Amino acid sequence: MRLVAEQLTVNFGGLLAIADVDIDIGPGEIVGLIGANGAGKSTLVNVLSGFQKTRTGSVKLGDSVLLGLSPDRIARAGVVRTFQSVRLFSGISVRDNIAAAAAVLGSGSESVDTLLELLDLADRPDSDAGSLPYAHQRRLAIARALALKPKFLLLDEPAAGMSPDEIEDLDRTLVELRDRTGMGLLLIEHNINLVMSICERLVVLDGGRVIARGDPDAIKSNTAVKNAYLGTEGGGH
Amino acid sequence: MRAAIPTLVILVVMILAVSLLGVFGSPLLLRVVIGAMINLVVVIGLSIFIGNSGILSFGHASFAAIGAYSAAWFTLPITMKKIFLPSLPAFVLSTQVGLAGGAAIGAVTAAITAAVIGVVIVRLSGIAASIATLAWLAIVHSVFSNAEALTKGTSSLVGLPIETNLFVATFAAILALVVAFLFRFSRYGLMLQASREDEAAALASGIPVRQLRLVAFVISAAVVAIAGVLKGHFLGILAVGQFYLEFTFLSLAMLVLGGMRSLSGAVVGTFAVAGIAEILRILSSGFEIFGLEVVAMPGLREIGLAIMMLLILLVRPMGITNGRELTLPWKRKTANELPITNDRTG
Repeated sequence: MRLVAEQLTVNFGGLLAIADVDIDIGPGEIVGLIGANGAGKSTLVNVLSGFQKTRTGSVKLGDSVLLGLSPDRIARAGVVRTFQSVRLFSGISVRDNIAAAAAVLGSGSESVDTLLELLDLADRPDSDAGSLPYAHQRRLAIARALALKPKFLLLDEPAAGMSPDEIEDLDRTLVELRDRTGMGLLLIEHNINLVMSICERLVVLDGGRVIARGDPDAIKSNTAVKNAYLGTEGGGH
Repeated sequence: MRAAIPTLVILVVMILAVSLLGVFGSPLLLRVVIGAMINLVVVIGLSIFIGNSGILSFGHASFAAIGAYSAAWFTLPITMKKIFLPSLPAFVLSTQVGLAGGAAIGAVTAAITAAVIGVVIVRLSGIAASIATLAWLAIVHSVFSNAEALTKGTSSLVGLPIETNLFVATFAAILALVVAFLFRFSRYGLMLQASREDEAAALASGIPVRQLRLVAFVISAAVVAIAGVLKGHFLGILAVGQFYLEFTFLSLAMLVLGGMRSLSGAVVGTFAVAGIAEILRILSSGFEIFGLEVVAMPGLREIGLAIMMLLILLVRPMGITNGRELTLPWKRKTANELPITNDRTG
């Protein structure tokens, strides 16, 4: 079952956020979505996850239509996102953050414990989520998303604010997860070096349009990408 | 849920202890205790919706009114009904049920009403939802004030059998507590609390936020309705004004003061406010200390309560319980409570 979006266009009062964007992810694939700030990456994720309505284009998971469904139904259908701004359930415990999402599927506490272990959060499951250090918060957001057993996971800048070591750990975890569950991953990043190592395919957005797509080597040597993006300090901030 | 059992036990013991004050106290204290138990049912009912969803409701007094009046239509002695409310439907006029039957009728009527109006309210979030609940209260108050044939309008409906005693009120409070406890610590309660913390993240986690809010709204309306029924059958008299702004703000004050995020907060807040209000009421009628006579100070109760609330909320903005559940001291978590804030938004 593939996640296929075609001809997506979102318009904020005359300003095109994304225009005619196609994206296609297969099971077990890790696809990187890159572009500078304001290129339309988050808008695309918002459309795929149902937070942004649009009337043009289509989003399908296998044969079922996702575009037009509410965010919670899309998440239950197996397309789960995280947020750039983390958005934990701050006032409840680390364990309950995961348990609340697991409860949607009726999963028991073993699956919560497994996720706590997997994302290295088992040392203080009873702390309020909001009291965790930043990198832990990011990992908790991923654990919470995984509790829904996603077929496709859309990660919006999961490594923002992490140290290089933490990023390496995260990359390893993501690849391991993919290998184990066979889920597809869409990794949104503006730091291009980060995605080069683990993505099989990249899609590059600029000004709301796809300017290039292909494997990391092809993207590195692509002139349009160089002009739009790589030229500007590797995109890192 | 099992980990929270000590909380339930502590709260039940607390309710029983207050109830004992009524057993061994003066007739006046008995009335105060019964009144506090009825308030507790209201506040626990409120907390089922407010505590879990995080949406403040100003409209629940309407469900107390709906419960109280719909029950009274059936519990009033038949002879009295024919005199006071002659235009009730014939089958109502010819039926009389006891307090338990009345409570069931009141709870079901309020629940059905809440299910209808709730569909509108749960579509809204935050302050917009709260204002919608206030508008709903105004509608119900206005309708009940003018529905002469059903409520006697602005005059009072008298003659309700006085059946709410200490046992009944305490039983109702414990029942409400158990219902609230089961909901709060169920997976539905947890999912709704997640939406209270962050609605967008809850939706992204597949949580059907609106549906869960509606469920909580209906359950809480039914519980508050039972309190309305008890109140009518405690005083023997119903007036539409009993279920309006004073009712609303007193019950909200109890909840907020105790800590609206926890069930313990509902119990602690109700008893704290009820107790202090009673002490202030006694003091306000004047007293003598070391031979000095303090004259009566009408209004001391209201002013004193307001000042106390200001002070408590200044020191503990999350309420007396700080939004936590009471639990056994050795079970209290040792994890650090100091939040390291990382507000990186993008």
